[in-house]
Formats: sequence, structure tokens, C-alpha cells
Amino acid sequence: MTSQHCKSNGRKRLSLFALLFFTTIQLGFAQSIELGEELFSSNCASCHYLGPESKKLIGPGLADHTLEEYTTEWLYSWIRNSAELIASGDEAAIAVYEEYNKSAMPAFPYFSDEDLDNVLAYIEQGPAEVVVDVAEVGVDGEASATSNTMVVLVAALVMLLLFAFVLARIKNVLKEIKGQETSSLLESALIWLKQTPIVIALFCIFMLLYALGGAWDGLLTVGVQKGYQPEQPIAFSHKIHAGENGVDCNYCHSGARHSKSAGVPSANVCMNCHTYIAGESESGKEEIAKIYDAIGFDPESRTYIEGYEQKPIEWIRVHNLPDLAYFNHSQHVNVAGVECQTCHGPIEEMEVVEQYSSLTMGWCIDCHREHKVDTANAYYHDLSENWVEKYHGEDISVDKIGGLECGKCHY
Amino acid sequence: MATKKTYFQGLGELANNPELEQLQHKEFAEKLPTEAFLGDEEKLSESSTSRRDFLKFLGFSTAAASLAACEAPVQKVIPFVVKPEETIAGNANWYASSFYDGNDYASLLVKNREGRPIFLKANDLSKEGGITARVQASVLNLYDSSRLKEPTAKGQKTSWRKADRAIVKGLNAAKSSGKQVVLLSSSIVSPSTKAVIKEFASKYGAKHVTYDALSVSAMLDANKESFGVRALPTYHFDKADVVVSFAADFIGDWLDSGHGKDYAAKRNPNASPMSRHYQFESNLSLTGANADYRTPVKASELGVALVTLYNLVAKKAGAKLVNTPASGYNTQLQKAANDLWDAKGKSLVVAGGNDKNIHTVVNAINDLLDNMGKTIDFKKRSYLKQGNDADVATLLNDMKAGKVGALIAYNANPVYNLAEGADFAEALSKVDLSVSFASKNDETTSLVDYVCPDHNYLESWGDANPYTGVYALVQPTINPLFNTRQAQASLMSWTGLGDDFYSYVKTYWNRYVLGSTSWNTALHDGVYTSKATERSLTRRGSIVSATKALSKLSSDSIDLVLYSKTGIGSGEYANNPWLQELPDPISKTTWDNYLTVSPRFAKELGLNNEYVSNGALNGDVVDLTVGGTTLRVPVLIQPGQAYKTVGLALGYGRQGVGKAGDGVGVNAFALASDFNTTLSNASLSKVEGEVHEFACTQLHHTMMGRDRIVKETTLDAYQQDPRSGNEQMMLETHKGPLEPEKITLWEEHDRDVHWWNLSVDLNGCTGCGACVIACHAENNVPVVGKEEIRRSRDMHWLRIDRYYSSDMTEERAEEEEVSTIDKYLAMEVASEAESLEVVFQPVMCQHCNHAPCETVCPVAATTHSREGLNHMTYNRCVGTRYCANNCPYKVRRFNWFNYSENDQFDFYMNDDLGKMVLNPDVVVRSRGVMEKCSMCIQMLQKVKLDAKKDGRKLRAGEAQTACSIACDTGALTFGDVLDEKSEVYTESKSPRAYHLLEELNTQPSVWYQTKVRNKG
Repeated sequence: MTSQHCKSNGRKRLSLFALLFFTTIQLGFAQSIELGEELFSSNCASCHYLGPESKKLIGPGLADHTLEEYTTEWLYSWIRNSAELIASGDEAAIAVYEEYNKSAMPAFPYFSDEDLDNVLAYIEQGPAEVVVDVAEVGVDGEASATSNTMVVLVAALVMLLLFAFVLARIKNVLKEIKGQETSSLLESALIWLKQTPIVIALFCIFMLLYALGGAWDGLLTVGVQKGYQPEQPIAFSHKIHAGENGVDCNYCHSGARHSKSAGVPSANVCMNCHTYIAGESESGKEEIAKIYDAIGFDPESRTYIEGYEQKPIEWIRVHNLPDLAYFNHSQHVNVAGVECQTCHGPIEEMEVVEQYSSLTMGWCIDCHREHKVDTANAYYHDLSENWVEKYHGEDISVDKIGGLECGKCHY
Repeated sequence: MATKKTYFQGLGELANNPELEQLQHKEFAEKLPTEAFLGDEEKLSESSTSRRDFLKFLGFSTAAASLAACEAPVQKVIPFVVKPEETIAGNANWYASSFYDGNDYASLLVKNREGRPIFLKANDLSKEGGITARVQASVLNLYDSSRLKEPTAKGQKTSWRKADRAIVKGLNAAKSSGKQVVLLSSSIVSPSTKAVIKEFASKYGAKHVTYDALSVSAMLDANKESFGVRALPTYHFDKADVVVSFAADFIGDWLDSGHGKDYAAKRNPNASPMSRHYQFESNLSLTGANADYRTPVKASELGVALVTLYNLVAKKAGAKLVNTPASGYNTQLQKAANDLWDAKGKSLVVAGGNDKNIHTVVNAINDLLDNMGKTIDFKKRSYLKQGNDADVATLLNDMKAGKVGALIAYNANPVYNLAEGADFAEALSKVDLSVSFASKNDETTSLVDYVCPDHNYLESWGDANPYTGVYALVQPTINPLFNTRQAQASLMSWTGLGDDFYSYVKTYWNRYVLGSTSWNTALHDGVYTSKATERSLTRRGSIVSATKALSKLSSDSIDLVLYSKTGIGSGEYANNPWLQELPDPISKTTWDNYLTVSPRFAKELGLNNEYVSNGALNGDVVDLTVGGTTLRVPVLIQPGQAYKTVGLALGYGRQGVGKAGDGVGVNAFALASDFNTTLSNASLSKVEGEVHEFACTQLHHTMMGRDRIVKETTLDAYQQDPRSGNEQMMLETHKGPLEPEKITLWEEHDRDVHWWNLSVDLNGCTGCGACVIACHAENNVPVVGKEEIRRSRDMHWLRIDRYYSSDMTEERAEEEEVSTIDKYLAMEVASEAESLEVVFQPVMCQHCNHAPCETVCPVAATTHSREGLNHMTYNRCVGTRYCANNCPYKVRRFNWFNYSENDQFDFYMNDDLGKMVLNPDVVVRSRGVMEKCSMCIQMLQKVKLDAKKDGRKLRAGEAQTACSIACDTGALTFGDVLDEKSEVYTESKSPRAYHLLEELNTQPSVWYQTKVRNKG
């Protein structure tokens, strides 16, 4: 259902010499970039934008060329403890500090040289452009197919009517010539219907079936809230945060990897960035001020108000599963490795979040029939030996190991 | 010639009985138990709703409901403002804490979901104490809507500041006027609390009086006389090869909740050796039901029996004998004495009751048997009971004389649980200042000046030193729900020590308890053990006066023995609906206390129990008079009860404690005299025309000769042939005899992931009921109340069946040529006297692999999983109940009502506070669906997910169910039977393993292990 394409982005030209060693380097390089990406998204991404545009978030935007002006040793000591570097009177360090309104970068003393190399390698390479082919939902396909047929049918009907009209006119002309009494198309149709009651009966049955079909389809949508897009107390834009600024989903929805609920971030998570970012536009400022109001932060003095009675933010829940269904995010995100977008759609393009998938049981089951179990996971590994023989080496999808059993989700 | 004969259907018709005449015109003898509304004829005739109106309403509401269903309600999601670091919504945190309420001690792990404690389990780091049904249920006490929400002064709300000022003033006034200041409490094992009390006492010259509702003061006094120290030893049931108990219910409420698991360790037939257990008692206790040899003894003759045992042992030991009348139980006592002497140094004699003479003689017997320092350990003492009855008597006299200026009741409800409760209530009015720390309204709070409500223990800081060298911490797992304050903090603030008890405990521990261990480690572990020991003690003193006092027989007197039930205990948690609905392990009766009378005695007195047409039990009612106090109590005929001794449970008859506990049963404390619960000279008089309605969960008492449900054997037979009592069953077929599993219609299921099995060891199960409560807590099992239980609509997913033996057997019937009808009639009757045997059998869904329920469900709501579980899908169920009808084990439960939203079931699930105890991982079932044991599938799914997330295989013993966690006697073993290293695999291959009703070939995933009795 889902596929990912990674396009390398503006990679530097490699000299012929480098090409000779391409294979070996690439192996080591790929590995470290992957680790670097992991470290970057969990430690750096909330303050640094990574991409060619060098956009400023809290700290400077990082592009492949940004770090060229600094030596690796300088970067090591800056990342490990920037405050120390500033205190030591390093000019370059002070310049950065001044440029970014004296907001200090947290120290990362626990990063090993290897970690830092990985992160820097990742920064140099730039982010992989992830193109998520959002699930082509069958219903949409069917809908377009149905509309095509409808056009053809309507066209045919129009043609037929036209044809009948023309025929009736010809008949009338002929009758007129013969001096017989003429009748309009409508009159002749009524006469014909009166003479053939079976047509009326068939017509009625058809209409009844059509109505019943419509009612059935209608009933199937009861409780399905696909497209539900409530207005939230804060006009939070996923497009800005996840899309333009590239904040990792897990940064805010940290529960997704660990728990059944992905979780809505608490206001203190918002404050990790919004301590420094108070908004540029008027409306942006207004919305961000709502976070300050909840947690008790004074944007003027940039301090938390002592003894403030905090007000939790009452978000409107968009994705509502009924109590009778048990769903666990960590099973899907962490174990199965399903992308957030597979179920939630192109969330990074949504100004206001809407329910993208139908969340019906049929929708769950479709995926369980197709998704492959990761038999490399030690939990499945020994068990999978039985399955290889049993399923003649076919891929093991979730349904083959009991993923469609009622009690797995309903208890 | 044609004759005209008249046939009569019965003598009644022949006599032309007018009542019968009337009955003949009715289809049913009794009014059908339809809904309450339809049953009430008056209401029905008053109603002006016509059939036409009804149909209009029906149509309208259907249309309205369908319209409403189109639009889903708006749901909010409210995150923390500042999230605590260790909390992840949707995941549970476990915190170590401890429970001690003056009776039971347990070291716990508290499961916390989104800040709410919802489940308790034993802390593996601690070996002491045990989680009983009461401890397991204590989490619900936290969410009791009748808890006190703020301090009160003379029944009116007040603020802590005002209350403090007034109380300090009162305390100072009492001190300056030279009157006593008294703190009356139950036993306290917390060293920090004791330190606070000491400081409080020295400031106000206060006296600390301790008493226990279930008092063992006489035992402490006897130990003082025998050993020179008023202390309790610890008992090692796990080291005793022979146990002789004189009415000590040590699996139930005797001294320590940890005895059950120690005892069970020696009840395994493969233990070396399996212990032999004799019980001499009047009421059939939980302990007696587990005994190998049980002798019902009239309460007033127990003393003579004990002295006789002393003489029998003394004879072997060559010690001096004492004079005593001949006991009627010589044969059994002789046998017990022989076994005891053979197991010298590895035996144990214990006694219940609160009679100093009895305990003095027991000490002497144990000394003769060389048990001191071996099975009875004074080096490690138990501090769980410290009460002194004499101090209470003095206090009461001082109060009456107006010598007490201030009285503070801490974890004590003297007006209810003192025999002289009424006197105490009166004397309380002569005390100038009275304060109670009760966290709930009780009989005492309504009479005191100030109520300063204490936190629930799950909201408190604290510590415990239950045994020598054993320390435990109590930590809060939820913020206080109400404007309450910890009792210690109250005492501290009145003493001028501030009100930060947490710092106090921490300082105390760092200074006096913890050596090099850090506070954080101790708090994480919940327990801390030091190497400290007390000195060992040797017995001295004489038993002459004690034996003399005991050597009296009074065969004419009717004796009364007051006992406590495993559920309700001393009545402190009477408002806990889980405990009220927990069937008494012996009588299987819920929501009641009653007079237990032996079948023979009941017959003599003309007292009856009868089953009514809906299968419920009704009983006669008597007026019970002891020492001038009369109580009207229902009678329950109890097999195994000693002749001419009647029993009555304590802890009932509470007033003003809340919706579940009010008015259930009668208060038996009123009958006790001077803390003595064994009383003589009772009189019974039947109340004519009054009938009491019981709510029992089991009314069939015997196995009726069926040998495929409970299988049992004796130890000798087992040692000769491990399959004894569990012989392979064969079915006769045209192909010759075949094992039932060879004859099947079903196809086999895939078994390639896990196969969850549960093994139930009938030797390990003591019937304590902790598993039943754990199941309630984990699976959101609703409480249905007495009326519904009477209609057999109990919802327990896990029940413990109790069967009595019958004197009539197939073999005996054949030998004595008894007719079939007589045989079955006799089989229905439980054994008399000594031959009565009891067996407990926990029954839950058997998760049949050839499940009869699955085949009959028309909507496929119950299906089989490849992990060997029988799934029940509530949202698919339409409530035909075919499955329940087709289930041979009767473990399926139907939701007749929407218990969580119905005010008729006002227990805990229908109020916001009570709902906080619900497990968010398990759905709350709605009306009209079937439910049953799922083998805690939510817990299985969780451990599997944890393993997948870590990328590892399941660890041994990682997968558990709520009941297998709660069972500390090892009777329930759970695991994956496909894993050959698992414990349950070994159990399933044991020669004792069998399936219930194996002839049906349902191939359950639950195994039972043959019961082996150490007899012969």
C-alpha cells in the first residue's frame, strides 16, 4: 500500500578517485548517516531546520554549506558545551550567540566523537526527501470508476431520448402527411406505458432496489467520521510545524513509539521551541500566546510566572475509535514500522487536521491482510521457522499469524 | 361393566384442599420473576400508558436514537500542562508500597494508570505477608464516594486551621486540668508513626492505648507468662511436617496473612514430606476445610481436648500429666499426638480464640515437641498484633469516671467493634474533647467532636516494621482526592512539628533504619531487611492453673463462636462491594452474616433451609440470646459445624458507612464479652413466620458420585501410583474402548505461536478468594447486588466451587444394596462429623479447543484463537445466550443490565469516583451481551508487545493472568505450553493433570491437578 522513494538531494560531485572506492565508502557512509539522522531528529530537529533553504528556527538553519566555515574541532566543542566555548572568549562562538538573541544551545556532553561525526555527516548530506505515496484508498478508485460509468450512462440516456424525440417527430410528420391524428412524444409514451404494465412493475422494482442500495450505503457511513475536521482551541498548523519546519512527528507525539496512545504534547513540549519563538504574524502571536496563557509564561520578560494556576488546553479529539476496539500505536509504529502518513494521510500538508482514513474495521483488516510481519524481529524469528514450511515460503502477512482474530483487538 | 374411576394427582386434591384448587388455575405456582415494574401490579394498573402510546414512544425513540447515532459526540483530549517525565499516557507505572491496616500486612506493587492506582500485586522482593482478598480489594476503598471529604466539627464542615486551633486548645485544657489525654488506636507497626506519637505523648502527657478488633491479647498475655515477654513469634508453616490447629484459622484471619502461602508450600504431594494437618474446631473454617483430618468439637469442649493432647504428648515425653476429664475425641487426638511426636521439632500446634489458658497449654505442648526455635521463632518476632484488652477496660472505666479530658481515635472504631460499644458511646459524652481520624463515617465519628479525616493509604507516606529486621515503606501513588490530611501530619501539627510527614519518615529512616542503603533504593524496593534479631526465649512457668480452668465440660450449654470471614473480616471494609459480593468460601453466601447451625442440631430445633422455585435459598430466623443481648439472625445449616455450637460472623451490621455496607447483616461484636469470641449459654428461639432470603452462588453441596470433576486420592496411593485417582477414561465404541480425545468431530486449530494454558492445583488452592477479587479489579467485572445474586445472575468470571464429601458412595450403595433413589437422596447429603471432606475448585472459562459455545453462536461472536483462547467479542454479541446454554462448565455470564450506568446498581461503577478504578485496557460491557474469562488477554497482548518492541523472545513466567498473579499459594500456574521449559508445560504432563469432564472431549486449555490428601 505504501512505498517510499528516496531521492538523493544535491549530492556533491565525486572525483574519479573517490569513485574507485565508492562501494566501500558508501557502505560505511550510509550506516553513519542513518545513525546521524536518528540523533538529529531526536536532539537537534526541534531547534534547527535542515535543508537547503537555511531557514532560522531557534538556532540557525543547517544546510550542507553552513558548517563549512567552522572546523570540525570547533563544532565538537560547540555542540558538547557551547556555553563553555562562549565563556572562553571564542569570537566565532560569541558571534553566533549574539546573532541568535543570546539563546543558549543546550549542551550535549554525552555525544561521542562517532556520534558527532554521524550527525555532521547527516547534516552534510541533507535530509532525504521523503515522498510518501499516501495510501490509494480503494474507495476513491471505485468512486472515479463509478463516475465514469455514470457519464457514459447519462450520455447514452440523452442520446436515446434524442433519438426517441427524433423518431417521434418523423412519425408525426409521416402521420401528418397521411392525415392521421398526431400525438406528442409525452402522450405517446404514456399510451405505451398504459399498454405495458410489466414495464411499470420492473421500473418500480428497480427504483426500490436502488433506494435500498442507497440506504444500505448510507447506513455503512453511520459513525464513520472520515473527513472530520473540528476547529481546535489553538489554530495549530501541522503544515508549518511538520511540513515547513520538518519537526519529527515523534518529537511531539512521543507516545506513539511507547504506548497505545500517541498522545497530544503537553504545553511544556511546545515551550521547548516557543520559549524563543513568539510568532511573526499577528495571528501567529495570538495563537502562541494561548500556550503562554496555559502554562503561565510571560513573553515580555521571558520567564515563567510563579504560582500561576495553569490551564490545560482542551483539544478536540479528531480520531475517535470506539471503546470496544483496542488500538496500540507502538505496535504499529514501533514494531510494524508503519509510517504515520499511512493512516493519518499527508498530515504535513494539513493546515487543520482532518480524519484522513475511515477507521472502519474493514479498513484495518485490509492492511492486516497485506502488511508483512518482520520475521527478523527476535520475537517472531523462531516462530517463523514453522511458518516457512506451512506457507511454502510465502510472505507472512499479519492475518496469517492471527492478526484477524476478534479477540486481538476486542477485549 | 364400565367403572368410573377418579384419579387424584395427590393427597391434596383428594382432600379437596381449597388452596390447591386455587393453584390449579394458575400456570405457575409463584409469580414469575419478571422485571420489577411488571411485577408490581399496583404500579402497572396505575400507569396510564396504553399499548398505542407505548408503540408511539417506541417508534419515536427508535427514530431519535438513529438520528442521534449519525452524529458522533465531540470528544476532548486534555494533555498535561507539564507532563511528569515518567508518565506516558496509556502505559502503566508500578510503585512499591505496603499495606497494613491493623490486621493484614502485605508488601505491594501498585499499578498506576494515568495517575490512578487500579491494581495491586505482591512485591517479589518481599517474602513476608500476603495479599488476601481484602488487601486486593483495598484499591476500591480509595474511590469510595462515601469517604469524608473535609474535616468536621460536631458534624459541620470546618477548615483545618479552625479544627487545629480548637483541638490544640482542647488538648492543652485537658493537660492543664490534670485529666488524661488518650490516643486509642489499633496496632501500629510504623516506627515513624510511633516516634510521632511519642513526641505527641510527651507534649501532652498522653497515654497510648492499643487494641485489635480481632484481638489476640490473651495470646500475648500467655506468651508473657510462658516466656517472660509479651510478644508474638513468627510461625514457620513451611517447615512443619505436622500441623495441629485448635480453631486457629491460620489460612484465614489468624495473626498473619502470609501463613497461607507457607502452609501451601508443604501441601504439595511432592514436597518432602507433604505436611499432615489436623484441625479441631467448632465452625467449619477455611483452614478446617483444607485439613486432612478435621474434627468438629463443641466449643466448650475444646479446652479438654487440648489438655488431653497435652497429656498424650507429655506421656511420650515422660513429663508430668495433668488431671482432666475424658475427652470424647480421644481417637483423633491420639492419632494427632502420635504424628506430632514422630515429627518432633518439625511440627506445630496452634490455637485460635482469645483465651489465655488455651495459649498457655499450646505453648507447653510446643515446648514438649521441641518446636521452639524451629517452627516457632522468637528471634524474628511479629509486631502485627499488639493490642491489650486490659488497657481498654481501664480506659472505659476512666472515661466513665470523667478522668479522660481528650480522646483521639486512630484507625479505631470502638463504638462498633467493642463488645461494650454502647457503654463506650455513653462514656464518650463525658470526654471533653473527642477526635477521630477515620477517613469514612462510622459508628464512632457520629459521636465525636472533631473528625480529622486521614488519607487512604494509597495517598499517604509511611513505613512499617512488621517483623524483626523487616522494614517497608508506604508511598503515595495518587494525589489526595479530598481535603484530607494524614493522621500523622495532624498529630505532628498539634505537637508543633509542622505537617510534613514525608520528611519525617525520610529523616527517621536515614537516621535509624537505613545503613549504607540509600533512601531512593529503599523507596524503589519498598522493603529493606536488616540483620537484626531479637533474643530467643525459653519457656518457663506452670500450666496447672490453665489446665484446671480448661478442664470443664458443659455438654448442656449451647455455645456460640464468633468468627471473621475472609471477605469482610472485622468489618472495616464493609462498604467495599467487591468484598460483600465475594462468596464466603465455605457457605458460598454473599451479602450476609448468619448463624451457622449443624444439620443435626437444626433438625432438633426444627430449623429449616429450603430452596424456592427460582433456585434461591430461604432460611428460618431465630432470636439468639447471649449474656442478655438478643439479636435476630437468619439460620444457615452448615455441614461440618459442631453439634450444639453455633457460629456467627463479625464485621456486619454496619451503620452509616455507605451504600454497599449499610444494613447488611447484624453486628456480632455486641455479643462478645471482654474480647472473648467463644461464648457459652446461648439460647435460640425460632421466630415463627419470618423467612430470610439468602443470596448464594452455589447450592449443590456434593459431587453426587460424579468422579470426572473433582478427582482425589490419598498420599499413600499417590506415592504408589502417581496416576491414582486420575485413571485414563475410556469410552466404549464399536472399535473397542477409546480415549475420549480420539473421538472428535472438530478439526484441529493451528498451534504455532503460543498456546496459553492454566493449571489449577487442587492441593494448592486454599479457597481464599484473592483471585476472584483480582479478576474483578483487572477485568472490570461488575457487582450486581444481593437481589441479582439470588436470581443466579452473578457476574464473577472466576468462581471457586466448594464441594463436600458424602457418606454415600457408589461402592457403599452396591455393598449395602441401597435402592437407586435412596442412594441418590443420600448422596445429596454432605458427610456428618469427622468424615466430612471439603474441596475447593476454581472454575473459569476452560478455553476449550473444541468449544461447544463457539459452534452454537449464530453471529460468530465467540471464536477460537490460534493461541488456544476462546475469544468473546462483545460488540458482535447479540445476546442469544446459546453459548451459555451449551457451555458444560457454566462459566459464561450474561449482562442483564447496563451495570455501569444504572442507578439500581449503585455500588461503584455508576459514580464518577468509583469509575476511576476501572482498567482502561478492558472495555466495560453493556447490557445484553455475554461475557466471560478472557485469560486476561489484555495482559498477554501487553507482554507480547513488550517483547516485540525489545526484539526478544518472551521471558519465562512473563505472561501471567490476574488470578495467577494474585494466587500466592502457587495453585494457579499460567504459561505457554508450547514452551517446553515453561512451568505449565511440566504441569500439563504431570500424572495428576486432568481436564474437567474429559468425556466431552472439549480439550480445555485449563488443567486441574488431582487433590491428594495426606490420609491413611
